[in-house]
Amino acid sequence: MSHKGKNSASSAKGKKPAKSNAESKGEDVLQAVVLADSFQDRFKPFTVEKPRCLLPLANTPLIEYTLEFLAMNGVQEVYIYCGAHTNQVEEYIGRSKWASSSKLSPFSVLQFVRVADARSVGDVLRDMDKRSLVDGDFLLVHGDVVSNLILDDALAAHRKRREASAANIMTMILHSGGPEEHRTKTNGITPVFVVDTKTQRCLHYDEMNPLQSDHYLSMDPAIAEELSTEFEIRADLIDAQIDICTPEVLALWSESFDYELPRRNFLHGVLKDWELNGKMIYAEIFEDGYAARASNLQMYDSISRDILGRWTFPFIPENNVFLKQTFKKHINNVIIETGASHAHDAKLQNSVIGTNTSIGSGSKITNSIIGTGCKIGSNVTLDNSFIWNNTTVGDGTTISKSILAGDVVVGKGCSIPTGSLISYCVQISDNISFSTATVLSTVTSTGKQVTKDINLLGPNSNAAPFFDPEDDELDDEDPSRLQKSLIYSLANFNLSTSSISTFNSDDESDDDNDSNFLSADAAHSSRSRLSSFASDDSAGKMSFHADAVHGLLDALRADSGDFDSAKLEFMGLRLANNASDAMMRKAVATAFTRRAVELVTPEHGGLDASKAAERAFTACKGASKFVNEVGVGGGEPEQIEFILSLQRALQHYSKGQEQQTKSSTLLPAMLQQLYALDILEEEGILGWWEDARAVDGESMAALKEKCKVLVEWLENAEEEDDDDDDSDDDSD
Amino acid sequence: MPSVSAGHALDLEKFLKSLKGQALEASINSLISLLKRRQIRGSEPCAIATAHILLQVVARSKWHDVNSLLLNVSRTGRRLVDAQPNELVIGNIVRRVLGLIRDEASEDRGDAGDESASEAPTPTDIVPPASISQQWSSKRFDSASSATVAARPPLVSSYSSINPPKSLFHLLSTSPPTDGDVSPFKTSGASTPTWRGNASQIHALRSEVIDGIEEIKDEISQVDDQIAASAEVQIHPGDLVLVHQPSTTVERFILRAAQKRKFTILIAMAPPRRQHSPENQHAAFRKKLSAAGITVVNVMNGGLMAYMSRVNKVIIGARAVVATGGVVADAGSAAIARAAKEQGAAVVVLNGIYKLSPESPFDESSLIEWGDSSTFVSFSDGPLVSGAEIRTALTELIPPELVDTYITNLGTHSRDHLSSLIADHYKREDADFHIWEEALP
Repeated sequence: MSHKGKNSASSAKGKKPAKSNAESKGEDVLQAVVLADSFQDRFKPFTVEKPRCLLPLANTPLIEYTLEFLAMNGVQEVYIYCGAHTNQVEEYIGRSKWASSSKLSPFSVLQFVRVADARSVGDVLRDMDKRSLVDGDFLLVHGDVVSNLILDDALAAHRKRREASAANIMTMILHSGGPEEHRTKTNGITPVFVVDTKTQRCLHYDEMNPLQSDHYLSMDPAIAEELSTEFEIRADLIDAQIDICTPEVLALWSESFDYELPRRNFLHGVLKDWELNGKMIYAEIFEDGYAARASNLQMYDSISRDILGRWTFPFIPENNVFLKQTFKKHINNVIIETGASHAHDAKLQNSVIGTNTSIGSGSKITNSIIGTGCKIGSNVTLDNSFIWNNTTVGDGTTISKSILAGDVVVGKGCSIPTGSLISYCVQISDNISFSTATVLSTVTSTGKQVTKDINLLGPNSNAAPFFDPEDDELDDEDPSRLQKSLIYSLANFNLSTSSISTFNSDDESDDDNDSNFLSADAAHSSRSRLSSFASDDSAGKMSFHADAVHGLLDALRADSGDFDSAKLEFMGLRLANNASDAMMRKAVATAFTRRAVELVTPEHGGLDASKAAERAFTACKGASKFVNEVGVGGGEPEQIEFILSLQRALQHYSKGQEQQTKSSTLLPAMLQQLYALDILEEEGILGWWEDARAVDGESMAALKEKCKVLVEWLENAEEEDDDDDDSDDDSD
Repeated sequence: MPSVSAGHALDLEKFLKSLKGQALEASINSLISLLKRRQIRGSEPCAIATAHILLQVVARSKWHDVNSLLLNVSRTGRRLVDAQPNELVIGNIVRRVLGLIRDEASEDRGDAGDESASEAPTPTDIVPPASISQQWSSKRFDSASSATVAARPPLVSSYSSINPPKSLFHLLSTSPPTDGDVSPFKTSGASTPTWRGNASQIHALRSEVIDGIEEIKDEISQVDDQIAASAEVQIHPGDLVLVHQPSTTVERFILRAAQKRKFTILIAMAPPRRQHSPENQHAAFRKKLSAAGITVVNVMNGGLMAYMSRVNKVIIGARAVVATGGVVADAGSAAIARAAKEQGAAVVVLNGIYKLSPESPFDESSLIEWGDSSTFVSFSDGPLVSGAEIRTALTELIPPELVDTYITNLGTHSRDHLSSLIADHYKREDADFHIWEEALP
């Protein structure tokens, strides 16, 4: 490989004089485009206040790793797109050694690229194309890449291919991940690459996730027939999304205006349309070295472990690669920066401790990373946790596998369980224990000050549980849900998935496809529930649900308007996406539930539950008819499914709201309303009452319990044989 | 400039090329980054890079008397040492340069005109300064040039490196106040008035120091040849010689002996790394040996001990030698040295004099460099990555009592002799240059 690489480089040199100036310049100077914003919010709540690329990974902001990686590979010109929190990133880099004004910068050019109203990676790259900043081969990386790969050989191979044909536009740098479970593989979304064994040409790309209904991948038969005689289908690769691109890649982005994601849209699309565009993309698969993206909290955790395990060598704390660090390795793989102190009887193991941090006596710290200026009290137990700068942890507190951001104050004797995320400046009083993983923040997802939750966090607190409304917009089958928490587990998701999915294939056996995604705690959950809409394109499914819910909600919010147009739109969407009945039912249930929940909140008048339910279903002319025809549209089994959908949606949306108590009575109110409107029948409601799925999980059971009165009443009514059929209209 | 070599990734060669075009501070920082990122690794490249950058410091930094020059050099040196504390040679080169400056300064001060004029050329005419810049990259293995150097008797050939001790002797006899008992700053401080404002003297000092550093660079580049000169004395016909992961120094040494002697050589190889099949290791070396008619036996580390009873000599290339005589060498050497000691085989350590460090760390672990976990375990082995803690030592310390002979470019030494070598090459006041520098304002 390397031998070939050298040859090609020398041949490139030989040809150079014949070429135009611009091109030869491109060959000499390696350029890089850094996407410091990936238009995702998987690091919430931390990214509400800080950009992802400045979050500390082993006490160093993520962007430093990316820039060191570029410097290591001899990159000369760097263009950074900052996106969210642009000012913070620019200020940070402006003060660092990377700034072009700094004499120490290894880059000859470091330029920020500002793109107005960019909403996706695609928008940024299309803008880059317009500006024509890059004029030769360039590296396209994200601002959260951690890698120690030397790309010389790959670059030379890329150059050689490009010399051979202008259609060879891109080389992806991938890392082999082995057939077995691996912590640094992305959880949730598995990239699948089809690569020609001989030429390394990438023939097909797709993504799979355990939430999708069909556990198979469809490939263009032309791949086998025309493109390749020998190819590998690899689902084991670790994709750090480091690409060597020619400027044609940007041009291709411009041509396809609707591409958003570099992999799922661009790569998939370009490879699929190979006949049309005639472009070829190659994959260099590295067995050595290290490359990964801290693209979500689980990856953040994995990469931190890899740094502790020295896989990212030389980017390990002990080497002090980053300016002004003075780490030293001590016994038990404890890496302590000068200026940190710890009591002699503190037990430290396999951890990183930043400067000016003090650790009290009797504390036990394992596999953790502690930032600078922290105060860890005595008898504290820290396990697998990340504590960023200037955080105080009181005596006797126990923290396991959690992230505590900067300036957090945790009182004495607290207990913070696995998976908790505590954002900047949160204060927690003494002796507070959480039973489950908690996400706390002082601001809401829109950056406003939160009303503090004294019940949960004690009198001295300034924070409240963090609730991201955008979570709801996501389809329940969107795999990005799997990446939002620190702990990867399908267990919780099974519940919510099964709760919305309606067709149960009860004896679906374990699929080989997803068995390797499963963490141990998912194994004993009821995975057979994990199913199953009619097989259609997963992207289409997601957009259908989101679009449909939005459309319906808008119509409902208009209140007085006619519902027919909304119905028309909905049916159009259905046809366009080939949505199944179950999906429609889900969308309808979600939309009405959200409207009802909305009506209970004080901003919308704070109606009581029955009024809200009534308003939601009857305010718009034709809405009830719509629900009857489209949402339920059938006999007892469909009715049961619809109620289940309502219940699940309600469980979802009332979460984290202050009106929890109020909205929990919404279910009986809505059922009653639907009963009154003759949309649901007794059989349906009673059938649901008997259904085992209705008690799937704690909150579901709680919701069901609220309906007890209604059901009892219905049962009585049945016995009394429709004595007072319509009297319930007025009673609440 | 970047088009000269194939890749974009940085290495020593690129760094040396970039020196001319860059500002001094930028060069220092880029070297520090390279050291930290381990893109320059190994004692010889580190020593060469250090010598080059110190040459730049002397030539281009601002200084108007000896004190400020010393300060500049030691400051830069300290940063380099901090960047890669495990490479002792960096500190050694810095000390050599500091000593050189002190020598030249006191020489010039002692007898202003004639002394420096007569003394200075003597060392430089051993190697003409014209060839310095390409010397490292191209001429290292040029046997023609090495033969002339090596043909000299050992003492003469090492003349260049005796230069510092010679001038130290000279210095001791002419100007006693500079002896180590007195703080270096008092003496040089007292002398500053004579220096200040004397541009020509500064200029002379600058060029002399630069010449001196060029000599150090030459010395580094010639070390292998000079060490190889004593090969015939060490290796006897019929010997069974064991080498462990031969470095270029060791290879040259063995190949030189192979020209005259018939012996058998055992090559102890590193444990199989993941990519390189064991057959590929040292292939060129083995080819040359068999061309010379030497029997070569490859032994994996594990099977080594069975052969040990028959081995006459173990030859180990050092990465550095500490003041006590302990040898920092590739991981695996210490076990071999111990086994050799038990079986009565001689342990011979090859080290250029520039690898001999005046430091004697009290903590062995601070000398050992830990490497990349992926050296022996593939990162794609998921269960092993998450389930095992992997430690890869790159170097280890061979205790001094296991070593019989040290061969340097100055000849063959016993352990007891090391201290006088250290005294010859380094000044006492520079031994802890990285500590006293900090005490300054």
